[in-house]
Amino acid sequence: MSRMASDAIVFENVTKGYGKGRGLHDLSLAIPEGSVTAILGPNGAGKSTLMRAITGMTVPDKGTLSVFGRPPGWELNRLIAYLPDRARWYGGHTVAEALEWGERLLAGFNRERALRLTVDYRLDPEMEVKGMSKGQEARLMLALCLARDVPLYVLDEPFSGIDMISREQIVVSLIDAFSERRQTVLISTHEIAETESLFDYAVFIGDGRAVLCGDVEELRAQRGSLRDIYRQLFG
Amino acid sequence: MNEFRFGPIRFVLDYSQPLYEQVLEQFRNSIAKGEIALGEKMPSVRELAQALKINPNTVLRAYQELERDALTETRRGQGTFITRDADRVAEIRRKLAEQAVNDFLDKMRSLGLTRDEIMRLLEERGG
Repeated sequence: MSRMASDAIVFENVTKGYGKGRGLHDLSLAIPEGSVTAILGPNGAGKSTLMRAITGMTVPDKGTLSVFGRPPGWELNRLIAYLPDRARWYGGHTVAEALEWGERLLAGFNRERALRLTVDYRLDPEMEVKGMSKGQEARLMLALCLARDVPLYVLDEPFSGIDMISREQIVVSLIDAFSERRQTVLISTHEIAETESLFDYAVFIGDGRAVLCGDVEELRAQRGSLRDIYRQLFG
Repeated sequence: MNEFRFGPIRFVLDYSQPLYEQVLEQFRNSIAKGEIALGEKMPSVRELAQALKINPNTVLRAYQELERDALTETRRGQGTFITRDADRVAEIRRKLAEQAVNDFLDKMRSLGLTRDEIMRLLEERGG
């Protein structure tokens, strides 16, 4: 799979072993630039490993991958807003301090948008991260990510552990962000039913391989909703 | 099935079918039926994407198709408007009606009915 002008991310035969069948196995895929792509698959299928490989935090044993035509690494990470699947970075911070931290350390951080997002997500600037609910913390993490003006967003399970109302709010704010700017977005999620309308490209991963990739509208015409396809593949 | 209201239009989205086609069809039908007045302003891509909770690219694709059909026009800096051309709307309405007749005839023929039998059925049914 060679890189097309319109592909933001290309994996070619990437293998990363973790033993016990976890990791990536000869995975090849191409993610179109400007797409909002769903990364779907059961637990342990390799979704988080794939995302970590994009940010250079995991180095493949075999195969190659490129992001905007370049190998992953710290230089490229200036262009990527990454939301890890589990993270507690700001334990001693208030919301306001977390934003200051973001402004100092995160490339492309847009303070104005960060403030607007915290208002949208009903996060009080004085609130301490320590005492936050899982949903509040997830919204803060996401606000820090979406506040960045970068061409690639990699969001690992941004909806997990979040109540339905927060989830809807996040979906709406993501749509807002996509209307404003045209960036490439990768989102892994198990919340397919509530989020599938967001996506225009989808990658189904099973046992470390890309089982099915495609334009979501074409997949709908051929096989039904993303939720139906997930059931066909993994049910 | 997901249902949303936007102005006079009730959108019903079925995630097992392409969404852009559904947005396109619902607008086209509403314009043909006159549910949306000539010259009326369309919701912005962002507004509709928000209301329907769908990807803005999906809305954009449907809007581009409506514009290609000359059912809408975009005025720089003002937004997208339904055409003021009543003939164009009548033409689209006729096309949709023809399509419905074709679908009906295909179905009847697949049941093995002749033209005469179909006409008789229609007459029996009346008005």
